[in-house]
Amino acid sequence: MSAKHDLINTMNVNSVSVSYTGPFDGQVLSVLAKNIEYSLSDSPSVNKKMFKIFLELAQNISYYSAEQEENRRGEEAGVGTLTIQEFDSHFVFCTGNMVTDTQAEKISGKCEKIKNLDREELREYKRLMRKLPAGAKGGGNIGLIQVALTAGSPVDYKIVPLENEKLFYIVAVRINKHEE
Amino acid sequence: MENIVIQGSHKDYFIPSVNFNAQNGMCEISGESFLEDTVEFYKPLIQWLETYTGEVKKPIAFIIKLTYFNTSTSRSILDLLNVLKDYEDNGGEVVINWHYDENDVDMEEDIEDYMIDTGLDINLIPFSQKS
Repeated sequence: MSAKHDLINTMNVNSVSVSYTGPFDGQVLSVLAKNIEYSLSDSPSVNKKMFKIFLELAQNISYYSAEQEENRRGEEAGVGTLTIQEFDSHFVFCTGNMVTDTQAEKISGKCEKIKNLDREELREYKRLMRKLPAGAKGGGNIGLIQVALTAGSPVDYKIVPLENEKLFYIVAVRINKHEE
Repeated sequence: MENIVIQGSHKDYFIPSVNFNAQNGMCEISGESFLEDTVEFYKPLIQWLETYTGEVKKPIAFIIKLTYFNTSTSRSILDLLNVLKDYEDNGGEVVINWHYDENDVDMEEDIEDYMIDTGLDINLIPFSQKS
């Protein structure tokens, strides 16, 4: 087994409610989003948060994963892995995908910055970034800030070197089942 | 001036319903917005508003009823609101009503952020959604 598969397996250890590895194309996103929106929690507001966080993280994989794959219809989509674990008081969302060196550097910078901001500072940072021109397909630059805001808890990340000098980027975020 | 009418859908991507009416100035975006190419979708809407505010110059009621929009859409919404702000600054009459799901606890904050960004007044109208 490769180091990447080991990593994916460690993401799958406890009480997994949702687990998917493969290309994140529109169809996959839409089907998973539907399930997440209606079936994970009894609370509509928690479900809404999960749905939003899922779509932002999944779109990041779809657009930016360094590993791309063609689906049956010939459309390219980023490959990655997603798990949602359920615990007594919270859910944990975890995604992973391959990144290039350049991406890894940008991601670390951004994650380190976001980690140290409180809610008001995050909102301010989001407004600042939103005024900048959009990236490819209108994407980019505020997805992770939005994830931190929606989750109401810090975004954890890790960049793990694999064989062949490749890098695997993991993001984890916690969503409480009850509003604090 | 032509109206814009787009029937939304919830398939591989989520296309919002759009109804921009040049006769009565009612402009509504509803449903969910998660698109394959956000910029391409919203560009004609922004151009429409620019033409309306530049040539027709009648009052606008701008109604947003989006139950979900992704962050790239949020940037396009800001572009639309900025056109409305320019119009208002130049004497145009603008009313913005933003309807949102009361279960969506973060939406109020989102709308507030738009008010800070644009300086526009936005009316917040919560509704309850049966799922």
